[in-house]
Amino acid sequence: MSPNTSSSTGKDKLIVDEEEVLQAVILADSFNKRFKPLTTHKPRCLLPICNAPLLDWTFESLALAGVQEIFVICRSHAELVKTAIKNSKWSKPGAGLKIVPIVTAKETFTPGDAMRDIYTHGIITSDFVLVTGDLVSNIRIGDVVREHKERRKTDKDAIMTMVVKQSGVNHRTRSRGDSAVFVIDPETSKCLHYEAVTGYPPKKYASIPREILNEHPEVEIRNDLIDCSIDICSVEVPSLFQDNFDYGDVRRDFVHGVLTSDLLMKSIYCYIAKEGYAARVRDTRSYDSISKDILARWTFPLVPDDNHPGGHSYEHLRGNKYIAKDNSVILSRTCKIGNNTLIGSKSQIADNAQVIASVLGQQCIVGAGSIVRNSYLFDGAVIGPNCVVEHSIIASGVHIKERTRVERGCLIADGVVVGPQAKLAPFSRLSKRRQDSDEEDEEFEDAEEEVKTATTEDEVDSELEDVEANQDPEALAKLGPGTNAIIWPLPTVDEDEDIDELEHPDNQRLMRIGDNASDLVLSDPGSITSSGQADSAVISEFQQEVKQSLDRAFAEGHSVDNAAVELKTLRMASNVSLRLVREAVIAAIVSRIKIMAGGGIPQRQEIASMISRWGGLIDKIGGVDPVETVEILQEYCASSDRLPLFGQILAALYQDDIVDEDDIRAWHGNSKSQGQGVKPTSLQDNYNKCWVTGAHMIKQFDEQDSDEESEEDSDDGSESRDPVVENPVTKELPSAGANSSEENSCEENSDEEDEGNTDEDDSE
Amino acid sequence: MNFDVTPVEVVTREFVVVILAGFGNELLPLTGEHGDEPCPKGLLPISNKPMLDYPLSWVEQSGIKDVLLICPSSHRPAISHYIHSQSSSASFSSVHIDLQTFDESQELSAGTCSVLRHFANRIKEDFILIPCDFIPPPSLPLSKLLNKFRTDTISDGSIVTSCWYEHKPDKLATPDEWGSPVQPTPIVWDHLTGTLLYVDSPHETDKNSDELELRMSLLSRYPQAKLSSRLLDSHVYVCKRAVLDLLAQKTRFDSLREDFFPWLCKLQYQSTKREKYATSIRIGIIIHRADDGFAIRVNNLPAYLEANRHIVTENEMHQFVADTSIGDFTRVEEKSTIKKSTIGKHCVIGKMVKIVGCVLLDHCVISDGAKLDGCILGNSTTVGSKAVLVGCVTQAGYEVKDNESVRHEKLDISDWAAQPEDSEGDVEGSAGEEESDEDED
Repeated sequence: MSPNTSSSTGKDKLIVDEEEVLQAVILADSFNKRFKPLTTHKPRCLLPICNAPLLDWTFESLALAGVQEIFVICRSHAELVKTAIKNSKWSKPGAGLKIVPIVTAKETFTPGDAMRDIYTHGIITSDFVLVTGDLVSNIRIGDVVREHKERRKTDKDAIMTMVVKQSGVNHRTRSRGDSAVFVIDPETSKCLHYEAVTGYPPKKYASIPREILNEHPEVEIRNDLIDCSIDICSVEVPSLFQDNFDYGDVRRDFVHGVLTSDLLMKSIYCYIAKEGYAARVRDTRSYDSISKDILARWTFPLVPDDNHPGGHSYEHLRGNKYIAKDNSVILSRTCKIGNNTLIGSKSQIADNAQVIASVLGQQCIVGAGSIVRNSYLFDGAVIGPNCVVEHSIIASGVHIKERTRVERGCLIADGVVVGPQAKLAPFSRLSKRRQDSDEEDEEFEDAEEEVKTATTEDEVDSELEDVEANQDPEALAKLGPGTNAIIWPLPTVDEDEDIDELEHPDNQRLMRIGDNASDLVLSDPGSITSSGQADSAVISEFQQEVKQSLDRAFAEGHSVDNAAVELKTLRMASNVSLRLVREAVIAAIVSRIKIMAGGGIPQRQEIASMISRWGGLIDKIGGVDPVETVEILQEYCASSDRLPLFGQILAALYQDDIVDEDDIRAWHGNSKSQGQGVKPTSLQDNYNKCWVTGAHMIKQFDEQDSDEESEEDSDDGSESRDPVVENPVTKELPSAGANSSEENSCEENSDEEDEGNTDEDDSE
Repeated sequence: MNFDVTPVEVVTREFVVVILAGFGNELLPLTGEHGDEPCPKGLLPISNKPMLDYPLSWVEQSGIKDVLLICPSSHRPAISHYIHSQSSSASFSSVHIDLQTFDESQELSAGTCSVLRHFANRIKEDFILIPCDFIPPPSLPLSKLLNKFRTDTISDGSIVTSCWYEHKPDKLATPDEWGSPVQPTPIVWDHLTGTLLYVDSPHETDKNSDELELRMSLLSRYPQAKLSSRLLDSHVYVCKRAVLDLLAQKTRFDSLREDFFPWLCKLQYQSTKREKYATSIRIGIIIHRADDGFAIRVNNLPAYLEANRHIVTENEMHQFVADTSIGDFTRVEEKSTIKKSTIGKHCVIGKMVKIVGCVLLDHCVISDGAKLDGCILGNSTTVGSKAVLVGCVTQAGYEVKDNESVRHEKLDISDWAAQPEDSEGDVEGSAGEEESDEDED
């Protein structure tokens, strides 16, 4: 393969030959849709920022760095880009730059695809500068290149140097939605780990591989760097993209992949720029902040009054106001121009109009009494009288008619007419209806129409069609009678579509102009360990109240129904689970059963009377779940001194039809009933005792079935045969048998048929 | 109530020093019992000075008067004797030492948190926690920590100032049998403000052994954090009294470094936790670099040997031969060579003995022709003639037989009873060879 050989010889040459031509590659496509619909007819790199196309700013930055040969990789609207390059001042002979546009296939969807395209073109002969077509920078990239080459002499595996700018975490130019944590060796500034950070949903943890500490015991974790997307790459970078065809993004895939790969053995370095300015227009929000940075002269010497990439000349006035120098700007005597404002030539600002912290293109008109604040008007935009435009981007040729209100975050594409008296909702995105767009386009920018490739046309058209087909007439009506606009829908997530987290609408909100995203929860308050305790506070309060309520009910002899109503109300108020209510009721009832000294018949009577009086309450609290009732009874008995009464109480509940045979069997079959997994092991014994009691009761049921004994008999039997209990139980209940002769009041009857019991035991 | 004493304390004390002197299980068999007498860790000599001398003189230099010394009750007589003995009371006359005991079993030693909780009622003011085994470098006075603590507490509610040190281990490898040196704990701190942000704990390692998980809220507040796996905890903490209240709330914590500090660090940037416990919390950190002076915690055998070597080279006053210090009343017979070693008091070293890179505690008896290389001999160890010990540690009172040769072992008394039959047969041949070599010398 010829490109391969040429590039490898180029690399060898580099080390020998210092006088290498410095190449740069500009990825002129954004590969995302954050500027839609502004970019339906124009690539992002040709959008003006401070009245000069982004691409020109990028050329300017590269020229400053001493780059001699530039390849511009374009995809959508490639012909437009080509024309722009042809007309650029940098293409003139004597500019010292050789700019070569390269059109990639329509299937180029990611920067990674573009890199693979570069590889197949075989244009790269030495270390090169990789930037995006939306860069604004005054960083001396030449120094970085020199540093990179120096490093390459000693470390052949250093394939890339990323330029990052030191700032603060919440710097306005630092993207909140798409930033990164860099782990850097402070001595060599080698990048050891790259952790992409997406703004929403907020990332909670940065995971730093422990193994990097083996070789680099002391590292810096930087969360305050602006990634300028300026990379000094070695010739093998395109081939690495070629080898790893799944690399899409340069950062999230390539850098991450190289750093985590055990096979590649390549290293990537960072260049932390402490001085200078560099930033990318990644989204509308950074468009806003970078415009402000330019106006505030952070990009010096690239400022509107000097070195303006568009070749305009502006006069710099106090308060960072810039007015075109050619005396063509017409400012009314009563208009107000705020700080940080740029006004292009031939613009007119009428009486009492206010333009604050905004950028106006050429031939813009702001009508009388209108207010334009924090907004960006491209060439030829017309704002009628008494309008308000806040925090929006208004593309060229837009006409906003009188008394229209454009709320923050609106993007209005070329040639749209809105109003009069329209009210645009915040974050509306408008573009021109296609039918009439065809005609007007020919008037306005006929060049564009001719050169557009068929493929991009199709793509755009299909999307436009979609949007046009789904217009809401009511919303359209609000845009005023004279409108030719269509409204782009709010971004939504298609359930089936596998959308990138980065491009998720919620995350994109962090990148929108004018969106402060105050309703998104971005801060991470830390793990909430307190919630459990808060809940337990609610629960204990509830239990307290239930106890009081039942105390009253018992003391004053309320009816079961009244008590139930009171409980229901309490439950609603505290919003606790039904089980808690049941627990409270059972605990209340059981705790009121007096323990009779002698046991035997008086005890049974006590239980029977209590259950018959209050047992009904258990099923009247809002739900019936007898199995749970038995469980709770077991739980309560196991942990209280009522343990010996478990059997009798269960029998009484059975007697009163609160639980029936099947429920007891179901409970008995449950593994938890045997005390498995019960926390204090001391309680496990008690659980087991209860379970054994239940087991006997079930045997008894079985016998009843077979013997067809009457219920009464069995009951009588249970009273009288206390002592006999000892026999079957001794094995399993050595202690329980001793201290509670009548706990097993129900199962005693089973003794009559010992053989039956043992069978039962075996089967279980 | 003692009416004579109370009026004296007009000026409230700013700090009380809490020195913890534990059993020193990591230093076994040196800290094993000698007959019925315990050998407290704090009294093991480093360059012929008891270990406790180092932190105590550090404290004294900073002008702090009150020390609460906590030791196991079985060590009380020995340590009490040390405090009141001539040698120490002369040098620490200005320090008032309150000796308290804490009952813990040697097998299951209680964590620092439990000890502090136990003594919380005795600590009424801000306190400085110092382990008995930290050998502070001369370039790091305690007052440096105190000053950082003072400024931090006043300015932004710092409640603890900790001190971590970098330690570059000697090239001289110690035998694996001695146990590996303490592995540094990865920590994250903010260099600009001197704030400790994250202490790795076994709990975190269990959760994710491949990655360190740092909260983004941490990185947002301190965007230039540093992470290092080269620093060791000096276990010196200057704490506000409030720390004890927090400890009282978190009863399940046992170890300060493994449980309490990782948790406390989280309070700094997790708002939910912070709201629950305190308004603002910060943990200061002072980092002592290896280039600024030698610091070490003598909490294992390799460190003990290293500390001895280093302190010897630093204290040229006591130097007898190059790199060697020899204690009082020690007798060295003719034709013996001693290099890079520390010999205790009242030792008797016979003829033709060769001692290289060793630490001999007091009352050791080395018979003629013995060779010792890289050994630590406990109190009253006797080495038989022509015995060869390489890389061994002996318990106090251990007896090495004539011509015995042992390599890389920890020799304690219980082993010793069973040992001779096992090893002697194999060993004798080599010992014999060594012997002949020596004669030629």
